[in-house]
Amino acid sequence: MEHVGARREKTENTTGKNTTGKTAVITGATSGIGLAALKELAGLGFRVIGVGRAAKRCAEAEASIRSEMPGARVDYLVADLSSQRQVRDLAAAISRLLETENGGCLDLLVNNAGTVSSWYVTTEDGYEMQFAVNHLAPFLLTRELLPLLNKAGFARVITTSSGSHYNTRMNWRDVMYRRGYNCLLAYKQSKLANVLFTSEFNRRQGPGSRIRAYAVDPGLVNTGIGEKGTNGFVCWFWRIRRQRGVAPEIAARTIIHLATTPGLEDPEAVYWKDCRPKRPSGYSQREDAGRRLWELSERLTS
Amino acid sequence: MLSSMRSFVLITGATGGLGKAFAAECAARGWDLFLTDLSESRLALLAVGLSRLHNVEVKYRACNLADPAAREEFLKSLETAGLQFHFLINNAGLDFEGPFAERTPEELATVVRLNVEATVAITRWVLRLRDQARTFRILNVSSLAGFYPMPVKAVYAASKRFLLQFSLALHCELRGDDITVTALCPAGMPSNPGVIRSINAQGFMGRVTAKNVGFVAAKAIDRALAGRAVYIPGLLNLFLSRLGSLVPSSVAAALINRRWRETSKRCTPSN
Ligand SMILES: NC(=O)c1ccc[n+]([C@@H]2O[C@H](COP(=O)([O-])OP(=O)(O)OC[C@H]3O[C@@H](n4cnc5c(N)ncnc54)[C@H](OP(=O)(O)O)[C@@H]3O)[C@@H](O)[C@H]2O)c1
Repeated sequence: MEHVGARREKTENTTGKNTTGKTAVITGATSGIGLAALKELAGLGFRVIGVGRAAKRCAEAEASIRSEMPGARVDYLVADLSSQRQVRDLAAAISRLLETENGGCLDLLVNNAGTVSSWYVTTEDGYEMQFAVNHLAPFLLTRELLPLLNKAGFARVITTSSGSHYNTRMNWRDVMYRRGYNCLLAYKQSKLANVLFTSEFNRRQGPGSRIRAYAVDPGLVNTGIGEKGTNGFVCWFWRIRRQRGVAPEIAARTIIHLATTPGLEDPEAVYWKDCRPKRPSGYSQREDAGRRLWELSERLTS
Repeated sequence: MLSSMRSFVLITGATGGLGKAFAAECAARGWDLFLTDLSESRLALLAVGLSRLHNVEVKYRACNLADPAAREEFLKSLETAGLQFHFLINNAGLDFEGPFAERTPEELATVVRLNVEATVAITRWVLRLRDQARTFRILNVSSLAGFYPMPVKAVYAASKRFLLQFSLALHCELRGDDITVTALCPAGMPSNPGVIRSINAQGFMGRVTAKNVGFVAAKAIDRALAGRAVYIPGLLNLFLSRLGSLVPSSVAAALINRRWRETSKRCTPSN
């Protein structure tokens, strides 16, 4: 399969990658890895749409990018991805925006927004927060944007997973971890769901599909993710741990690599770290688990 | 035929943090639900979400239970619809935090109307609509605040005290009729971002007394099914509640008063 997203005109930029004219949507683009990835893509000439949950942080991010890169084509949309209603509204807003610009064509979707919660918090749809934001939102948003992705010559769906997906399984008996809620277990499961979703997506698209999904393992990254919805211990632990993490700009490189490299060394590889394919967990590749999660997610977002 | 009719769990305040956890817990047990709260649209979202996840029937109707006329209409509608219930969770309750003298009379009245009057009225009414074929369960959400007089939360704490006493009395009175009554007395629960912030502001004590709502909801239902009179989540909280009956009320009130003043001082600069 040839991985050349070059249906439209190519131009060389500083990194030598051909990207001009492409469109990207990045969720969780108000801080951390998402913000770094968005800036990089904007610099490469992508038309970028960032998504954040807080209007203020979205406005600030947009303003700072415009002042750093006057030529950047960037817009931010506000959506709380824990709400399915808002995910659907977001998809509709993206469609409207791109419809007028390029006939509604989307080359790249980066499902990057993620959350950690010390507490069992229920979303407005009655689901556990981490499962809803980290897994159901990417699932639903990807499906809602499929018509736009289908219009691209070759589209990519990149989901920010994590090394946390190793050494865990789906807790089918209680996917919402309602009873024995544990912040780390619920987080690990949601990141495993990212890989299961990515693999199942590709299986369902079939060989020769013009949309390909990838899961990215950013490694340990120095961001505020572990301090936002957490209490004393987890919060304190993350403050110390994040110091050993790489800068978000470095973590974003794998996303950029997958988004912009015409001929990936292994286009079939699902899981990527440090710009290279890596072996995901055995469980994440199980077809029965992938199918089961897909069917559950379909039901929960129907 | 009565026995072939569906029977529901009625949950008030269903779209709040603890309310959603109760609804999710009951749905997971395969029970059909009847939910109520202020916002119709929020009820609709929750109903759809839970019925998808657990394949149960979820009915709902919005109502301001603090308004006696609206409440009566709501209760009548349950009867007109011919519904029957096997479980009632009186979870709706509210507080307007802050010094007594700074609250409007309307705010204070609302706390009493919702926490006290609505609970009494609903309990009375729904007893008539009970599913005769099953044991009837009532779960009243009181609070750890029900064990102490609480300055700055005077009306709220007193209303929770009322619920505790009311539950304990009914627990004995109704036992012979195959009805169990359980009072849940939780400390602050981190059920939404606002509450999480306020628990963190209370520092160490706030964090160690806080329990996950999912856990509290599940355990509370277990205790109600076991016919227990009171459930206080967490060992430390149990200890604190016992302390409440050992220490004279006036001393407890003075201590709590001091703690609240310290906490609000700590909160103010960051707010
Ligand atoms: N940091 C690491 O070491 C690490 C390791 C492995 C994987 N990851 C993954 O990397 C991704 C990005 O994390 P990060 O480290 O860059 O964290 P971050 O700085 O906290 O960024 C997370 C982004 O998601 C947004 N977000 C959170 N909840 C949301 C919601 N309900 N609706 C909409 N947006 C929401 C945040 O918005 P706000 O700006 O408003 O908070 C923020 O923009 C996550 O999926 C995470 O699981 C991180």
